[in-house]
Amino acid sequence: MTIPAIPRRIDVIRTFKEQGGYVAAVLPIHYPRSLLRAFNILPVEVWGPPGIKARDGAKHLQPYVCSIVHNALSFLQSGGLDITDILIVPHTCDSLQGLGSILLDFVSPKQPVIPIYLPRGKRESDVDFFANELRSIYRQLEAITGHSPTDADLLQSIYREEAADKLLSELHRCRRNLPFSNLAFYRLLRNREHLPAETFMELAQKALAQKVDTTQDGGIPILLSGIVPEPMSLLGAISQMGGVVAADDLACCGRRLYPPGQSDDPFRRIAERILYAPPDPTRGNSIKERLEHLLQLVETSGAKGVIFYEVKFCEPELFDLPQLRQGLQEAGLPSLTIEMDLNDPLSHQALTRLEAFLEMIQ
Amino acid sequence: MSIGPALRYHWNVNLLGRAGLRWVRWQAERRVKRGAHGKSHILTPPLKISARTKELIGRHYLKGRYANLRGKVAWVTSGAPIEFLKALDFYLLYPENHGAVCGTTRTAVDICAQAENAGYSRDICSYARTDLGTMLSCQTPVGKLPKPDLLLTCTNICQTVLHWYRVLAHHFDVPLILIDTPFVYTETTDHSVAYVKRQLEEAIPIAEEVAGQSLDERKLKEVTRLSKLASELWLELLGRCRHRPAPISVFDQFIQMAPIVEMRGDNFTVDFYAAMLKEVDERIAQVIGAVKNERKRLLWDNLPVWYRLRYLAEFLGRHGVVIAASTYTNAWAELTPKMDPERPLESMARTYMYPILNRGTGDKLATMRQMIDDYRLDGVILHSDRSCKPYSVGQMDQRDRLIRDFGVPALLLEADHNDSRSFSKEQVANRLDAFIEMLEV
Amino acid sequence: MSKIQALGLDVGSTTVKMVGLDAEGEMAWHFLEQAEPLLENQIARFLERARNVTGPLDGIPLVATGYGRGLVNQATRTVTEITCHARGIYRELGHGGTLVDIGGQDSKVIGISPQGKVIDFTMNDKCAAGTGRFLENTASRLKVSLDRMGPEALSVSDEVSISSTCTVFAESEVISLIAHGVSIASILRGLHRSLVKRMVSMILTVGLTPPLMLSGGVAQNPAIRQMLEEETGQKIILPHYPQLMGACGAALFALDA
Repeated sequence: MTIPAIPRRIDVIRTFKEQGGYVAAVLPIHYPRSLLRAFNILPVEVWGPPGIKARDGAKHLQPYVCSIVHNALSFLQSGGLDITDILIVPHTCDSLQGLGSILLDFVSPKQPVIPIYLPRGKRESDVDFFANELRSIYRQLEAITGHSPTDADLLQSIYREEAADKLLSELHRCRRNLPFSNLAFYRLLRNREHLPAETFMELAQKALAQKVDTTQDGGIPILLSGIVPEPMSLLGAISQMGGVVAADDLACCGRRLYPPGQSDDPFRRIAERILYAPPDPTRGNSIKERLEHLLQLVETSGAKGVIFYEVKFCEPELFDLPQLRQGLQEAGLPSLTIEMDLNDPLSHQALTRLEAFLEMIQ
Repeated sequence: MSIGPALRYHWNVNLLGRAGLRWVRWQAERRVKRGAHGKSHILTPPLKISARTKELIGRHYLKGRYANLRGKVAWVTSGAPIEFLKALDFYLLYPENHGAVCGTTRTAVDICAQAENAGYSRDICSYARTDLGTMLSCQTPVGKLPKPDLLLTCTNICQTVLHWYRVLAHHFDVPLILIDTPFVYTETTDHSVAYVKRQLEEAIPIAEEVAGQSLDERKLKEVTRLSKLASELWLELLGRCRHRPAPISVFDQFIQMAPIVEMRGDNFTVDFYAAMLKEVDERIAQVIGAVKNERKRLLWDNLPVWYRLRYLAEFLGRHGVVIAASTYTNAWAELTPKMDPERPLESMARTYMYPILNRGTGDKLATMRQMIDDYRLDGVILHSDRSCKPYSVGQMDQRDRLIRDFGVPALLLEADHNDSRSFSKEQVANRLDAFIEMLEV
Repeated sequence: MSKIQALGLDVGSTTVKMVGLDAEGEMAWHFLEQAEPLLENQIARFLERARNVTGPLDGIPLVATGYGRGLVNQATRTVTEITCHARGIYRELGHGGTLVDIGGQDSKVIGISPQGKVIDFTMNDKCAAGTGRFLENTASRLKVSLDRMGPEALSVSDEVSISSTCTVFAESEVISLIAHGVSIASILRGLHRSLVKRMVSMILTVGLTPPLMLSGGVAQNPAIRQMLEEETGQKIILPHYPQLMGACGAALFALDA
């Protein structure tokens, strides 16, 4: 069995633009997809990208800024994002805050830059603020595109994204009953990052149609946590060493299984969806919430160990690790930390650690 | 508070401790009078009031040592709106200041190692590592830190403090108040101000519950008034460095700023800065500069390099270079006009959203530019601080613009505010030498 | 010599080691060489040597470990050096504890259960600060041979503090110390201390469960041993052949087959 045919990213962008739409390059992690789509803007996410020449970014950023931010800026400077019409920079961390700010003040790319402030809680005040922040983004998008979608337009767009996210959650839930390798499954998930929701849903349905009743793999189940599993050869290596990713707590995947909103006000509804998503340190969730979430993932997936795969210099991730690992240990779960740089190949040492870890939990 | 602990507190702090600290101050004052600091040809001896600064800091940590006996304790970030906690009679501990004390006493690296051994990465902020090291090992040069009953973190200085305080909350299992202050990319929005104000309003009942008392409006106004008074004096004090020669350098400011950060809202802090202003004015009248032979004046950007203050002061002083101003010490002064004791919450919301670290990189450049004009400065040292990303990201462009657009020489100096392992003396010396040659001293 | 029943090959970054075990799992033969750039050729030569001792290798299982384990085409299977070290040392010493292995390229701390299983482990991060390479680099700067480094360091009592743990920074620090007339021996002492502190930090990350055991080439350095004991307050237990523990473990896995 194979993964359904996936349209190429560049083709998706071209087609969307040919049909009169706009394309926004979006930096990690959380942002209002449905709001953008209501303006006929297709969000295309930029997680680095990995393995590019990060030279151009080095003119603006110190070496102790993470490789995701370095690469994003380098990619932009080298013309990699020329095809996009808008840049969206969520306020995810201090480094992305800095990037957003130097884009506005110093780099001044040809596209308009829209920063989004993400509140760090899920109190009523956070939801209200975020709804207002989204209203202000609405006005900025209105000025750029000349469109003024109505509340009904917005809600329609939200419902579509909610339907797509429901399928995404479904994929996550039955990942071990799908006949895909770690890598193939991951590639499938990440199409959510650039495909329009409707196209993604077709793809997801085709994949879900291949679902079988028995678990497809006999590997050692692990839970993968972190920001982004790059280089992707990591997933191949896990398979090769006899492991299988049974669940994930990745910022690019499992932490973005947005639940449906409750409110009828479109802005509040988007805010609820993002703020009530699975715990993520960049949205200020407590360590207790994160630990409970991890333990729950372990329970439902049968994972025998947790791998924290971190981007070097990522403070939001690094702060939580010791207490998370301690909590896991108390629950009898071994864990492993690997740090990486987006531009380096998977080091021999990292592979050895991974293999030794699998040998240990076997 | 029951009698036993109250007596112990009184005995240790007010009777024994205070007398001890006074004795230490008296000795320090005698040393200054005798000129025991040596007849340096480079730097003027420290201000006479330095002995009092030491006493104030000593007393602050002495009170802290026994604070759990006396009442409630809150650990707070350096930029947090603390006036309501002060009015609720909390003892406030500032882990960042404590970190700086560890930095200047060169104990930070050993304490950081305690955190690193527990799995905290060396890539996280060295203040945080120092604090977590103390949290885990109780190791500190100030004797002992009190346990918190409440935590208050405000994101107006960085997101680091959010993650850091989540760790503290998990460890101590106490309530954490978060004041989230949306970053000001270009200008403040009304919904952001409303958001901060609402969080402050909602924080009060949480703090009241921990304190076991209600907030007294009059007390809050009084604390805010004292906070503003001290900040006004600090603002004036920094402004005195416009004089040539500058009566004090930023290296003095770094030490003298402790009270404005960790003792604002207290009346003795107001008296202290009033006295300091008087002494500085005397220096100005006698045309005494911090650097004896002042030839060039610089601006410092970012946090101090706590463990190398004297080294840097002397290195630069030897060439007649004084650092007369810094964006860092300025941060506790520049917002003073925004404070309004009559409308404490509203004005607090605006004030605390607007520190330099919560404003865009272009705005910081404009602030630097303004300071260069105001203080008639000849160049800028931008400390690229590995531990402080919000302060450091943007510096490469700021430096570029300073040189290219304004013709101001500017140097990017790689270091870390608290971790001396990221400071290469040889590299720093080399760069400073070259920069000084460039300034044509 | 008793008949060799299983072979373990540890292809490390500085040395290559091979061990042959008899049917009881006792070491019957071993061989060690400095690693060469063309590892494939070297591995072939190792196998040739083994053949000279044991006769034809057909049917004798071989497990490869170490960073070059993937290059050993003849191996029946590969196992990481973490698991092999734990297995090897447990076989020799018969108890659990904390094993420190300072290798040329990687250093590791392994927590071993009383039953000989790996409970937890950690490795140095990307930079060379916590590895044998840290000493090697600076040794060549100071023109001291590797085997003299430890004794030299112990020959003096005064010690300079090397604050940089980064190899590059440390090198410039060393140069400046020499320029200031500090004796080579006290610099060496400082360098050893710096490496040991780094190791202690790794030990504490895993958690120090006594006894403390040491393996790897650096175990032969007396200064490292002494300072590690000073810094941890634990007596260090050394296996008979510290460098062969990985290869032994690999051979034990081969014997299982």
